[in-house]
Amino acid sequence: MTGSHRARRTVYAALTPVLVLGIAACAGLPNTVFGAHSEIGRTEDRLTYLLLILGGLVFVLVEGTLIWALFKFRTRPNATTPQQTHGNTTLEVSWTLIPAVILAIIAVPSVRAIFETQAAAAAGSLQVEVIGHQWWWEFRYPQYKITTANELYLPVGRTASFTLRTEDVIHSFWIPQLAGKRDVVHKERPNYMWFTPDSAGAWNGFCAEYCGTSHSNMRFRVFTVSPEQFAAWVKHQQSGPAFPVGAATSAQTDTSKKAAPATTATPAATASLASADTNSATYPRDQLPKWTIPETPLPTDEHFDEGTIAKADPARGAQIFKTAACIGCHTIQGVSPGIIGPNLTHVGSRTTIGAGLYPNDMQHLTMWIKDARLMKPGSIMPPMGKGLPEAMGAFDDQQIADLAAYLSSLK
Amino acid sequence: MATTVAAPSVTGKAHKYESGIWSWLATTDHKRIGQLYMYTAIAWFVIGGIEALFIRSQLYGPNGRLVSADTYNQLFTMHGTTMIFMAIMPLSAAFFNLLIPLQIGARDVAFPRLNAFSYWVFLAGSLFMNVSWFMHAAPDGGWFAYAPLNTRQFNPGINMDFWVIGLQILGISSLAAGFNFITTIINMRAPGMHFMRMPVFTWAAFVTQFLIVLAFPIITVAVTFLLFDRFFGTTFYEIAAGADPLLWQHLFWLFGHPEVYILILPAFGLVSEVLPTFSRKPLFGYPVMVYSLILIAFLGFGVWAHHMFAVGMGPVADSIFSITTMLIAIPTGVKIFNWLGTMWGGNLSFKTSCLFAIGLVGLFTIGGISGVMHSSPPSDLMQTDSYFIVAHFHYVLFGGSMMGLFAGIYYYFPKMTGRMMSESLGKWHFWLTFIGMNLAFFPMHFAGLNGMPRRIWSYDANQGWDLDNHLSTIGAFIIALATAIFLYNFLRSRGHGALAGNNPWDAPTIEWSIPSPPPDYNYAKIPTVTSRYPMWSQHGPAPVAPPVPTAGADQPLPTYPSAEQLGIPMPTPTIKPLIATCGLSLAFVGLIWHRQIPIILLGGLIFVVSIYAWVLTPLEPEH
Repeated sequence: MTGSHRARRTVYAALTPVLVLGIAACAGLPNTVFGAHSEIGRTEDRLTYLLLILGGLVFVLVEGTLIWALFKFRTRPNATTPQQTHGNTTLEVSWTLIPAVILAIIAVPSVRAIFETQAAAAAGSLQVEVIGHQWWWEFRYPQYKITTANELYLPVGRTASFTLRTEDVIHSFWIPQLAGKRDVVHKERPNYMWFTPDSAGAWNGFCAEYCGTSHSNMRFRVFTVSPEQFAAWVKHQQSGPAFPVGAATSAQTDTSKKAAPATTATPAATASLASADTNSATYPRDQLPKWTIPETPLPTDEHFDEGTIAKADPARGAQIFKTAACIGCHTIQGVSPGIIGPNLTHVGSRTTIGAGLYPNDMQHLTMWIKDARLMKPGSIMPPMGKGLPEAMGAFDDQQIADLAAYLSSLK
Repeated sequence: MATTVAAPSVTGKAHKYESGIWSWLATTDHKRIGQLYMYTAIAWFVIGGIEALFIRSQLYGPNGRLVSADTYNQLFTMHGTTMIFMAIMPLSAAFFNLLIPLQIGARDVAFPRLNAFSYWVFLAGSLFMNVSWFMHAAPDGGWFAYAPLNTRQFNPGINMDFWVIGLQILGISSLAAGFNFITTIINMRAPGMHFMRMPVFTWAAFVTQFLIVLAFPIITVAVTFLLFDRFFGTTFYEIAAGADPLLWQHLFWLFGHPEVYILILPAFGLVSEVLPTFSRKPLFGYPVMVYSLILIAFLGFGVWAHHMFAVGMGPVADSIFSITTMLIAIPTGVKIFNWLGTMWGGNLSFKTSCLFAIGLVGLFTIGGISGVMHSSPPSDLMQTDSYFIVAHFHYVLFGGSMMGLFAGIYYYFPKMTGRMMSESLGKWHFWLTFIGMNLAFFPMHFAGLNGMPRRIWSYDANQGWDLDNHLSTIGAFIIALATAIFLYNFLRSRGHGALAGNNPWDAPTIEWSIPSPPPDYNYAKIPTVTSRYPMWSQHGPAPVAPPVPTAGADQPLPTYPSAEQLGIPMPTPTIKPLIATCGLSLAFVGLIWHRQIPIILLGGLIFVVSIYAWVLTPLEPEH
């Protein structure tokens, strides 16, 4: 259809400056769908640009005609009866056919892009399983036997091929700056999508299908890193928990008498994301852009006493964990087998907790463990603090601080 | 409304329902029923608007904590459900009732008592669903209530029970009315009123009724499955039993897409009445305007899965629905152009009604453009479930349906009540609405393309969404102010407006040939119709629209001979439709209230007995 190609190019040329200005206004906005950083995202963006240009053209023509008519044909006091036109066949046929042509200009690349973007992923792609839960994201890398939660690491330049499932209701997996979204619909029958990240960075992900109470709190992070960094991350994720040294590989649950603290001492200070932990091969904290650092306020004025946090002992926390109800829901490799909640083997290295909701630091982690339902409405995790309604633990603040210190040490 | 006298009933209870509250509770007069729909719908519009104000206040800035997440989820569910089923649809029904018999030269609808029943059931259903607020258990699954979130497993409370049952009740109302109006339009047109002479509003109403009777059974099936799952343990949507979550989506959207055409076509019809009158020339391209209504309705059943481009239907399904969605833009666009053609070359008189009609033309265009953008699935994967969609549907529902309905209200208020609304207050209403609406919804296009998902209670700082949300909230409050002005105008003008006379607008169709408000029999003598624009057929339209009447604000409405005096048999007022509604409602209350079988049976008994009595009562008195 060369006619439509020519027309399309002319339209592009005429309206590109307008579009560039408009997009420039949106550029630099952290979650914009424009300038997506993958071939799939760029294909989707190109269609969006085409639609915006043609839509803008129609807008100018139609609204322009309307406003022109309102001025030109407003009534004047000594006007005569206007001509009682009933219609104009030529005009009506034209303005039926022209929109049809415009729609064809949209339809052809759309259908082409549908088949392109839904073709099977390239052989040798990185396999990632995405499992939606109310209200967090589970990520598995079956090729590497890694299970993690709420933070997705992807290598730049390698196609990531996603298998998308849900454990409960329908959610939607969306990283606006990387690619369009896909719903997670079934438990057994997965959806598929793939894209190839083309630049390194830290990106925000969201659940985009209403899924209940904490739908708006079901966020995640994506870190696109160099292939070498990705390999290092994989290797680290495959290793056992970082604490305690020596007891990490054992599978027994008897209480260890070893009091030796971990080599990676837990920072007792609050809200400190600045310490880059090179052992965990995670995204450097000091390079996190502002929009990936949550500012969600604590739900109440209550917070943990600084002294309690300063006295928090990860070794004590490890002991508490081994017999606490936590083990029923969470997996720490070699320590606990639960699969209802996120895998915590390397939770200390994550930048956020609660699925992108709060910064991962002692102040927030302690509050989370004490009363997750207060921190995240509807959360299935019961409170662990003493005396709280429906609590499944009866821990005082110091014990919770110890638990948080233990988890923070699991880099 | 004591200018007319109710005909004596067979049983000799002559004037029991003549005046006062009984004349409203027992009415079978389509004009009264239309007014009941209108007042009730406006009340729900205000309530849905208050829900919106809460939403917008919560979303004003990042990390808002005005309401809890649970309350927010109830607010957005009820805002959508209220606006669609309790504001826009019944406002359209108000016009169906008011106008269809008048425009086709009939004395009433085919089934006047069924008509009353439709209204009472609508009132019952809307009250039923909103009682849940008093239990802080309003529906919270979204107005679209996707499975499996809507099942007992994931939503065990009573919230969704209210939604499921409320919707069934509302569906009964719409279906009954649908059959009623179809029968009326086919059978009761005055002599000479060929189909292609009918006013375009009646055509729009006619097509809408077909959409209703074909689409509502689908949602009835979907909701019945859900009702049985939630109440009787079936497993249509239970994933543990192997149900497919997409079953709900397909059923819902098979209804849901025609539903949006149900929401817009009546407004289109009203604009097609208003613009010719204030342009002083006929509607441009009447036949195409009629055919496009039919084509939109027909194609509207073939596009539903464009709401599902992200669920993974596969490339073939995506492509098919993409193309059908693009196709439906053609007859819709044609209407916009024909309205431009109507105004072009005319003498435009910017009365309030006309301003709102022009508002629809301008604002629906924007909504239509974003709609076409959604039709391309790869691009839609960036747009869907974001605020870009919220922007789209508010432009077509507020900028489209509501603007058209307001145009209709200002246009037909004189015919309905006999008095004029204030033009100056009307203009304030229009301009504040126009500004508020654009300020509220245009920034949502940007928020959406900047990654803001839908249906979120709260968003974090530094996401790039703050300014858009500030603007939207301010716009919402401007809309609220505009609506307050409208309410004052609407309520005050009923008793204190200038006298309208038969045809204050010099409009062309036959409803403007009879007094305002019309006597209960509408036409003393059923007219014989010889053209599309009978009131203009002799002298053509006046070159300039007549000035708005300003006299007679303190004078009573004129009176006319009664039906009895003219020997015209009219339907007898009766309380039986209201009693039947009470029985039906009682049965549903029994169902939701811990399945109290005795109450369900009692309600059912009342329903059956009152219908039996109703059916056996003659419509009109013996004479």
